[in-house]
Amino acid sequence: MPVPISQGWTVATYLLKQKLAGRKRYPFVLMLEPLFRCNLACAGCGKIQYPAHILKKELTPEECFKAVEECGTPMVSIPGGEPLMHSQIDKIVEGLVERKKYIYLCTNALLLKEKLHLFKPSKYLTFSVHVDGQRDHHDFSVCREGGYDQAVEGIKAAVKAGFRVTTNTTLFDGADPNSVRAHFDEMMELGVEGMMLSPGYSYDKAPDQKHFLGRARTRRLFRSILSNRKKSWKFNQSTLFLEFLMGKQHYKCTPWGMPTYNVFGWQKPCYLLQDGYADSFQELMDSTEWQNYGTESGNPQCANCMVHSGYEASAVDHTFSGLGGLWATIKSMVAGSYEDADALQMLNEPVKPVHAFNPLVQISSTESAMEETRA
Amino acid sequence: MSIPSHSDHHSERRIASQLTANAALDPEQLEVAAGTARQNVEGWVPDLATDADIRSALEEAFEYRGDVTITRKDGAKFEGYIFDRSTGDSLATSYVRLLPKDSNNRLKISYAEIAALAFTGRDTAAGKSYEAWVKKYWTKKTTGEGEASIQPDALE
Repeated sequence: MPVPISQGWTVATYLLKQKLAGRKRYPFVLMLEPLFRCNLACAGCGKIQYPAHILKKELTPEECFKAVEECGTPMVSIPGGEPLMHSQIDKIVEGLVERKKYIYLCTNALLLKEKLHLFKPSKYLTFSVHVDGQRDHHDFSVCREGGYDQAVEGIKAAVKAGFRVTTNTTLFDGADPNSVRAHFDEMMELGVEGMMLSPGYSYDKAPDQKHFLGRARTRRLFRSILSNRKKSWKFNQSTLFLEFLMGKQHYKCTPWGMPTYNVFGWQKPCYLLQDGYADSFQELMDSTEWQNYGTESGNPQCANCMVHSGYEASAVDHTFSGLGGLWATIKSMVAGSYEDADALQMLNEPVKPVHAFNPLVQISSTESAMEETRA
Repeated sequence: MSIPSHSDHHSERRIASQLTANAALDPEQLEVAAGTARQNVEGWVPDLATDADIRSALEEAFEYRGDVTITRKDGAKFEGYIFDRSTGDSLATSYVRLLPKDSNNRLKISYAEIAALAFTGRDTAAGKSYEAWVKKYWTKKTTGEGEASIQPDALE
């Protein structure tokens, strides 16, 4: 895992403390959403559909610090909305750095170049830039012409200024594995520290309701992408979570692993589902009926989920659950390229990326059109 | 604008749930996750004749991505966004929590106190058609006209 030794040590000791204390449920990363407002309107996103008076609300720095202290995790992810649109994001980051929290500020980078001067490079601060693939794929995915070029400009500026930079890529049905692999090459060439990946979640409010990956297809897609991997690719994620996406590990969901705090309070049960809110972290842990969530629960809203917010914490917990987990982690870290002839063959299968399919000239039945989008 | 009757509303919701539930029968074999078909309930004023009506309408209000107006039995009216609800054994032990449109004071209102509910705010999730986006994208690609972008809603 390409992170500073101090970060690895801090996280490892935190996790060991939880284990030694016998805590059955503990948080791993706080997802701190200081606002819902965004400067993009991505087709696959279901996080920004609120009335204007809600979109105008922002958590104050003090509210953010209180949540961070309540939760106690060593890592804080700041998604949104677009955090760089928050009027006091610099104060929030500064306060979290003072508290020695490892911050992943998740941004689409449209404002990164312009706002970079608000921040100081630190081992505690990483800009996690949302890039969903190569230029056409990303622009289509985020519904913004030129979005890719702006994100790349932001990445270059941040890397040049000495900041830690990673990318985060969300994949939907129709993703072209070869293009994703080429995207990895491009991102590593830009000098990012590592990359993060996740399949998209089927938000029921998202405009696009047609391209959410099911679990079987997710495993196939990630196997084709992540097998036979290049040495130059670095991933800023649990290696066991990547194996989970490839179908090599099986985990149950850990919805409390990445608790979410936003303008409504502590979100039940996880980052993706909104089944109500608690006023304190303890109330969230105590009052959520956890058995009702996760794919294994039979909850239809969890059926296709393999997202990091539920399963990366499971993978990390596996690592620290005994010698078996530790051994699996060591094996995954030294596995190298994950050579797989069948996966290599899968890269030769024809694909039809959604952004390359022009429905305006398609003359076919509804049924065959649906098949096309699912190819 | 077509506002569903109460019975239409429930049958459509049921269809969406069944689609998802069927897909969940064997999630490990799922190729593509079924999306959710949503209806436009903007402007809807549900009939709150029975306890079941009240529970059902408030559950819909909790899922709604727009503001609603609640009229209490004492005549007080509150317009805002419902961000939480808790359902107990009785209406008295069930409540919604609402962030008013014009204040930061969170309100907690018992189901038993509610006389009327109206979906008065714009449904911010409605009209964001994926198909419309694809059409816009390809129009720009093929003719060079327009802009291949979707802008977020203005903050009114």
